[in-house]
Amino acid sequence: MSMDQLLLLLPALVVTATTVLCMLAVAIHRRHLVSCVISAVGLLLALLSLSVAMPLAPQEVTPLLRVDAFSLFFTVLVLGSALVVTLFSYPYLCNLEDQQDEFYLLLNISVLGALVMVSSTHFLTAFLGMETLSVCLYGMVAYPLHRSRTAQYPMEASLKYLVLSAVSSGFVLFGMALLYAQSGTLHFTDISAGLAGGALVPASYYVLASLLIIMGFAFKLSLVPFHLWTPDVYEGAPLPATSFLATVGKLAMAALLMRFMSVSELLSSADIRYVLSIIAVFSILFGNLLALRQSNLKRLLSYSSIAHMGYLLVALITLNATGQSLGAEAVSFYLTAYVVMSLGAFGVMTVVSDSAQERDHIGHYQGLFWRNPWLALVFTAMLLSLAGIPLTIGFVGKFYIFAAGVQGAEWMLLLAMVVGSGIGLFYYLRIVYRMLAPLEHHDPFPEAGLRELLPHGLLLCLLVLLVLPGVLPGGLMALVETVVRSL
Amino acid sequence: MQEWTGLLPAFPLAGFVLLVLSRGRMPRGIAGVIGAGSVGLSFLLALTIAIGVLNNGGQAYTTVLWQWMQVGDFAPGFSFYVDGLTLVMILVISGVGFLIHLYATAYMADDPGFARFFSYMNLFVAAMLVLVLADNLLLLYLGWEGVGLCSYLLIGFWYDKPENGYAARKAFVVTRVGDTSMAIGLFLLFSQLGTLNIQQMLMLAPQQWSVGSGIAVAASALLLGGAVGKSAQLPLQTWLPDAMAGPTPISALIHAATMVTAGVYLIARTHVLFELAPSVQLLVAFIGLATLLMSGFTALTQTDIKRILAYSTISQIGYMFLALGVGAWSAAVFHLMTHAFFKALLFLAAGTVILSLHHEQDIFRMGAMRRRLPVSFWCFLVGSAALTALPFTSGFYSKDEILLAALGQEHYGMLLWTGGVLGAFLTALYSFRLVFVVFFGRDRHQGSSHGEDHAHAAVMEAMSPVMFFPLLLLGLLALGGGFIHVPVDTVFGAVHEEVHASQFLHALMILIPIFGVVIAWGVYGSASYQKAGEHLRERLLAAPIGRRAYRFWFSGWGMDALYQWLFVNPFMVLARLNRKDAVDQIYGWVAQAARVGNSVVVMLQTGNLRWYAISLVGGMVLVIGLGVWR
Repeated sequence: MSMDQLLLLLPALVVTATTVLCMLAVAIHRRHLVSCVISAVGLLLALLSLSVAMPLAPQEVTPLLRVDAFSLFFTVLVLGSALVVTLFSYPYLCNLEDQQDEFYLLLNISVLGALVMVSSTHFLTAFLGMETLSVCLYGMVAYPLHRSRTAQYPMEASLKYLVLSAVSSGFVLFGMALLYAQSGTLHFTDISAGLAGGALVPASYYVLASLLIIMGFAFKLSLVPFHLWTPDVYEGAPLPATSFLATVGKLAMAALLMRFMSVSELLSSADIRYVLSIIAVFSILFGNLLALRQSNLKRLLSYSSIAHMGYLLVALITLNATGQSLGAEAVSFYLTAYVVMSLGAFGVMTVVSDSAQERDHIGHYQGLFWRNPWLALVFTAMLLSLAGIPLTIGFVGKFYIFAAGVQGAEWMLLLAMVVGSGIGLFYYLRIVYRMLAPLEHHDPFPEAGLRELLPHGLLLCLLVLLVLPGVLPGGLMALVETVVRSL
Repeated sequence: MQEWTGLLPAFPLAGFVLLVLSRGRMPRGIAGVIGAGSVGLSFLLALTIAIGVLNNGGQAYTTVLWQWMQVGDFAPGFSFYVDGLTLVMILVISGVGFLIHLYATAYMADDPGFARFFSYMNLFVAAMLVLVLADNLLLLYLGWEGVGLCSYLLIGFWYDKPENGYAARKAFVVTRVGDTSMAIGLFLLFSQLGTLNIQQMLMLAPQQWSVGSGIAVAASALLLGGAVGKSAQLPLQTWLPDAMAGPTPISALIHAATMVTAGVYLIARTHVLFELAPSVQLLVAFIGLATLLMSGFTALTQTDIKRILAYSTISQIGYMFLALGVGAWSAAVFHLMTHAFFKALLFLAAGTVILSLHHEQDIFRMGAMRRRLPVSFWCFLVGSAALTALPFTSGFYSKDEILLAALGQEHYGMLLWTGGVLGAFLTALYSFRLVFVVFFGRDRHQGSSHGEDHAHAAVMEAMSPVMFFPLLLLGLLALGGGFIHVPVDTVFGAVHEEVHASQFLHALMILIPIFGVVIAWGVYGSASYQKAGEHLRERLLAAPIGRRAYRFWFSGWGMDALYQWLFVNPFMVLARLNRKDAVDQIYGWVAQAARVGNSVVVMLQTGNLRWYAISLVGGMVLVIGLGVWR
């Protein structure tokens, strides 16, 4: 392995070093603040180290990984959202009557898994990354285990996630085994030859194998019919874990899926497009319908994430069909938008919650505008963006997907998107409406003093990231265009 | 300075935002400075831009402020286009606007809604500037609706009186009729030409459409609908007199000097389209003529000082439409400018009179105010002289141009000219009727019985320097504005050939307004004739025909009653019939369907791990079945 290749992996190496450092610090002297600072600084350094890796890309780093503009872009997103989650975790975990440090440890290891996922072009690394991410997530979801009053059902959520995730990993592995049995390699590119037919086995063999893999991925993205776990896990997990699962988890999985689809040219098969279209339509409709009357905001956002992943799938389906890069651009743009809005929405909830009490019921936000206009403003902006109202990043993202769908002439999918967005507007605006309703009872938010400054500053940054690309999307669009070209 | 063009509407917009954010808690002094100062800054900027452009030979330019996004061919954004016509408009809007803002700081000083007033005013100026600066019709439409909104808010400014709210609603609804027509026109233009950029449109239209083609006629007629609504021309003129319910500076700024001339601007801006549709252009001329005559007659019978001015505004815009209709684009813009000067002057002076007389608006309860309100008197004299187009005032030059251009019209030249001259006679009559009744003759004001000191003191109070300065400047402009050359030659292409009327017609055009003044003096002015005049009036009113005509004219030709009978009543009947909105039922079903769908899918969320695992496997089987054995 040459020096260049090591430099290309620098972000992952820095995160690994951070993990080790974190562990050592815990062994020497336990201190919540120290662990958090080490973890945050590590992530920040990993972000900075990208500037070293960037000029060397694109390059294959062993047959297992490929570092190019695409993987670097998603590395930035993963590290950025992990950093935000880390910083939101600190005030949340402060009053946990248990050890807090290991949370950061788990978070760092799972970031490592996500980093491997976004740059893998090989089933081995893909699976390794997925499992590294998932195994740490089980721990993060169940983190406040010894406290009965904190997040309500962390153990239940973690166990559900563990069992179901194992089943889905089984699917993925089985699919890989089938492919390997025929081609003798585990590289993404080798599937396309088999799909074209002419080999010993019919094309449907490859369809079967690829579907097994894609469905395993679809479980992680909580697409219908593999979505049932989502609300329970989102609700049961502590808020930082939920926001990590909703952002980094989805981000890495979607990036992997996109790379897989685009490298293997699976979408040239009409069968696979057909199945994915059905899944997309049902995800959009189910997600939005499920959220319709939900009053627990964590559950509501989990349902809405099902719908959002459905939108994403619409763009993904048009990936190769259009012959242009619009589909891939739309996916990358939408993922960016989704991460920003999810972090913002969960961030507001994290700010008003702590590990003693989570404020995740819609009633907790009744009259928020009259209590704390700033938080209400941020939350409203995030919700409007999720609903796809203009001048937010969410609108531009949705518009992008729409443009891709129009170019791919996927009219059924677009119809589902329109209907879904219509339903979506109702439940997003219901929250806004509740925030503007008169204040009834007063349930004081946790007072964290100076510690509050940091999360509020983060919310401000997220708000800027939400509005700026909504008003001037040109820069991000140009970036996404160059990113996609490297695929 | 061209790169600063975007700041023109930004200053008043910033003023608006600041004033709104202060939530009325800002000290009046600061609110006034922000309110008037922001417009003043805009004016200074407009002035420097104008000097720069004119030194540059009047070269038009475009500045892109902001491009929202670029997806394929779809690239919405904000761009401003500045040429001679725009320059005239921005100078008038910001200049006259600034003077009126300045005046209003004194006029509104005691009003509890001081900051709210200036925030609306600033928003209006910003929207109006966007309207005239826009380089595409969509952005123009944004400004168009923005000024409509501000007009609505300001007419209903004193919202605790229900009739003010009614007047505001009326203005909003009536102009909406025109706006709808205009919006359809925009759709049509976009679908036919593929662009809403005005300059591109004006270039493409003559290439694609022949003169008099159906599309050109439809598009220009629809745009005309919008213009007619905003500029209060026949048949959508009914809202403007009621709009006088707002504070007087509003009437001066919005309902005389700027917003109501937006229709004139729109037609002048898209003049190429109208040239492609000669029939519509002729219609513009006749609408203008009919409106100016009708409202001239109506103004003769009104007794409310502001309503007289309102009808006179409608009538003067009628002149502008007449000019547009005969292709005298620059004459229309010229009259737009001079009218802004003298009508703003008249309204502000009327405001002073109203304020001094403690909100008395009936001219027959004034009288002999010449000595008590000397400044107002002189302002009115100057303004009325310009309005009447007496020689050497600004109105004289602009109206002269319009009438000469009307005479030059190919087929109906003589008819249009005669109508215009008759209108000029009416103008002289009603404006000097106003002057003579208010400032001469017998004092009929109630205050006089209590002694002169009271009213006299009030006059001194009502005239502070910040009120006097705008009046003085506007007075000078109303007198000398005719010598300003409107730099629109490059905008409207070739300069129209001068129409040479005979000496006789020229003399007629000068003498007829003077004749009107003399008659007004005879009937309302001089003490010796006043008795005879009143006698004559009574005789006229006693005759059934006279009385009926008076009542007919007074009600604005019965248009309100007609519309009530024709549109409002049937609409109310329909609304009552459809009380349980049939369309609403459909949405009810949609909501119901969503609710049912929700309860179905929620049943899947059992929370049982075994069910989840089963569904995972079942889903897998389903998916593979779909994919492999499709």
